[in-house]
Amino acid sequence: MKRHMILGLAVAAGLSAGFGLDPAHAQKKSLVIGMGSADAGKLDPHLASTTPDKGLLNYIFNGLVRVKPGQASPDFIEPDLAESWTTNANGTEWTFKIRSGVQCHHGYGPFSAEDAAYSIKRASNKATSSYSGDFAAVDKVEAVDASTLKITLKNPVAGFLGYVANINGGNMVCKKAAEEMGENFGKKPVGTGPFQFAEYQPQQFVKLTANKQYFRGAPVLEDITYRYIPADSSRDLAFQSGELDMIYGKQDQTWVDRTSKLPGVKVKAMEPGELSALYLNITSKPLDDIRVRQAIAHAIDRKAIVQFKGAGSSREAVSVVPSGYLGTDEKSPLYAYDVNKAKALLAEAGYPNGVTVKTIHTTLTGMQTFIEAVQAQLKKANINLEIELVEHATFHAQIRKGLSPIVHYQAARFPVADVYLTQFYDSASNIGTPTAITNFTFCNVADSEIRAARVETDAAKQKALWKSAQEKLVTNVCGIPVYEQLQLWAWKDNLDLGYELNGSLNLSPPVTEKTKFTK
Amino acid sequence: MTAFLIRRLGFAVITLFAVLTLVFVLVRIVPGDPAQVILGDQASREAIEALRERLGLNLPLYHQYVVFVWGALGGDWGTSMMTGRPVIQEVLNVLPWTLELTFLSLVIGVVIGVPLGVAAAVRRNRFTDYAARIGSLLGLSFPPFVSALLLLLAFSIGLHWFPVISAKSGSLSAWVESITLPAINLGLITAAYITRVTRSAMLEVLQEDYVRTARAKGVPWSVVVWRHALRNALIPVITIIGLYLGILIGNSVLTEIVFSRPGLGKLIVGALNQRDYTMLQGMMVIYTLVVVLVNLATDIAYGIADPRVKFK
Repeated sequence: MKRHMILGLAVAAGLSAGFGLDPAHAQKKSLVIGMGSADAGKLDPHLASTTPDKGLLNYIFNGLVRVKPGQASPDFIEPDLAESWTTNANGTEWTFKIRSGVQCHHGYGPFSAEDAAYSIKRASNKATSSYSGDFAAVDKVEAVDASTLKITLKNPVAGFLGYVANINGGNMVCKKAAEEMGENFGKKPVGTGPFQFAEYQPQQFVKLTANKQYFRGAPVLEDITYRYIPADSSRDLAFQSGELDMIYGKQDQTWVDRTSKLPGVKVKAMEPGELSALYLNITSKPLDDIRVRQAIAHAIDRKAIVQFKGAGSSREAVSVVPSGYLGTDEKSPLYAYDVNKAKALLAEAGYPNGVTVKTIHTTLTGMQTFIEAVQAQLKKANINLEIELVEHATFHAQIRKGLSPIVHYQAARFPVADVYLTQFYDSASNIGTPTAITNFTFCNVADSEIRAARVETDAAKQKALWKSAQEKLVTNVCGIPVYEQLQLWAWKDNLDLGYELNGSLNLSPPVTEKTKFTK
Repeated sequence: MTAFLIRRLGFAVITLFAVLTLVFVLVRIVPGDPAQVILGDQASREAIEALRERLGLNLPLYHQYVVFVWGALGGDWGTSMMTGRPVIQEVLNVLPWTLELTFLSLVIGVVIGVPLGVAAAVRRNRFTDYAARIGSLLGLSFPPFVSALLLLLAFSIGLHWFPVISAKSGSLSAWVESITLPAINLGLITAAYITRVTRSAMLEVLQEDYVRTARAKGVPWSVVVWRHALRNALIPVITIIGLYLGILIGNSVLTEIVFSRPGLGKLIVGALNQRDYTMLQGMMVIYTLVVVLVNLATDIAYGIADPRVKFK
């Protein structure tokens, strides 16, 4: 009997081996992308807040304007659904000329100024949008006629075009579809982009098909399968076996080194860099003493951190605002690495034998290795950093309750200095207040500059205000910027993206109507 | 038998209710805010408060509890806070994937484990026994995600026999391709458990008087082992299978993740990470239900394996 069982097993194994087991090679017109998450979240562009969801929605939606594919800076803003636009002298009235002949997906008819007005109202509404705060300055939105959209602002907004670009609240939805589906819009999003939603398989993939009526021309690719593969190693193996054409990389230099060695593969560390900074609560002891904060700043060796993180995928921070943003002060010096000075400052502050400070930190691997490296550096200056590790959602809840005197945060924002400064350093964003966002420092030293720059219409004056704000924040050691983590992606070299990839605001490479396989 | 079933089902209802309450309280004690997760880290406090209001998270705890229990009694498990889809639908979407994986790995576990355990017991302290013991020890000590990666490296990357993304469906061959490696991965671990239990149960039975009597009477050795001894050694094996089925559903999460398969394990881990209260509540009830039902089935299986067992 035992022999029979073994025989049976062998037959079963042989049978299974006999079926067509060659890994499914993607056809030349089908792109398969592997994303590092377990499942789709909300596929409503005004609610989506995660990188995986934003990346996918980018293929489906357009903005009034867009950042040129492959770029991550507002310098590259170009027409999208709006052909052209004008603004009054102080930037409070914007008139957009909407492109004609644009069709909404799934037969929802032509896209008009009416849809654009509806979209902006929807994105401004707390009940339907995570980005309502971005549109706080919007006073009135009206469709003057089918092809003219007028937006009136209560006050000028720095980099306003960025808010109507093809990311977050700037994504344009089709009114009829959004009204018809209501809360279910995220289950079958309807936009105007090169690809349209076709199918969702829970925990597996979202499938998009080409929008043949796309206003820039029918896409070369026929469809995109956006697969959810949370395990880094499985994603890598599936990429290696040819089941995936493009993957979201493990955000780690060893991944870059290993993946670059695979034949026929392109690896890219692209913009934007997510700034990793320490935010010091200046109202908590002993951080209320500026000498202790300066000591911490002097004890961190940015160069060594970048070496540790990998020169190909990270770079030193330049300011409290990430590099490359409109208004980043890339010239003013940060605190230099100097352990002796750090010790001297501590002694001066009354801590000749060193000091202990605490941080509550997430267990996300990339962030955890960073804080451990910082801990080791601080130790050399007799600063004992106590790290309390908690799971990620707990981390986000606890730092917002002010439980962590030092907060390590890693983030990229829309690349205008105002966004970063407002969210992290304006005292109106202090945690615990009704308008709280992510000011963990309780610093208010730069409030007047940040607020003045926000409504300043003269570009040079605005830049000067931002520079002054950054200098004050650095001098007062409200935040200690350390390094910037670039976005890591890999794809097969027979995939031609159709543009030069330097970066992408939503952290995922765009797939456009021109993207194609070359062989 | 009927009275036994009714009593057991009564206990099941009480257990379910206790778990329901416990889960309701636990998910709310854990720090973390679903509204924050939904809106992302750039959302203002005002927007988060507005969403909490809409999700009913600002209601007093007892009020939320009444709403939840009332809904649950009426068969309404609510909608996932993250995706907006009904919890039941989310679960049903992936349940077949988990069930087929669990069932198949159990089959593999029994098919390999029972004969191996018997062989080890019969050839005690000889090569077969040592091999089975070392093999099963390895199986028990190997983390499932490591063995899963090794299987993928060998059979998907090395030999190209199977896809890395083991989640195909549609045709029989696609299904076989997708299920084989994950089922082997979990099945081998299950087999390790079953081998060890079968071996020790058999060792005990083989020393019984009736085994010696049967042999003395001239009954062929294979009949003594397989018909007389094994039948009597099965009770602890069934217990372990029953217990293990509960663990197996939980264990499957690592296998699901590495083989990129949908499944309940992934669903519950995702819900936990995102603090999806409604989803967690619904899933925990389903898990409890499964464990309770499996235990019930185990008790009934005792009776089939051993007619002396009476249901009281």
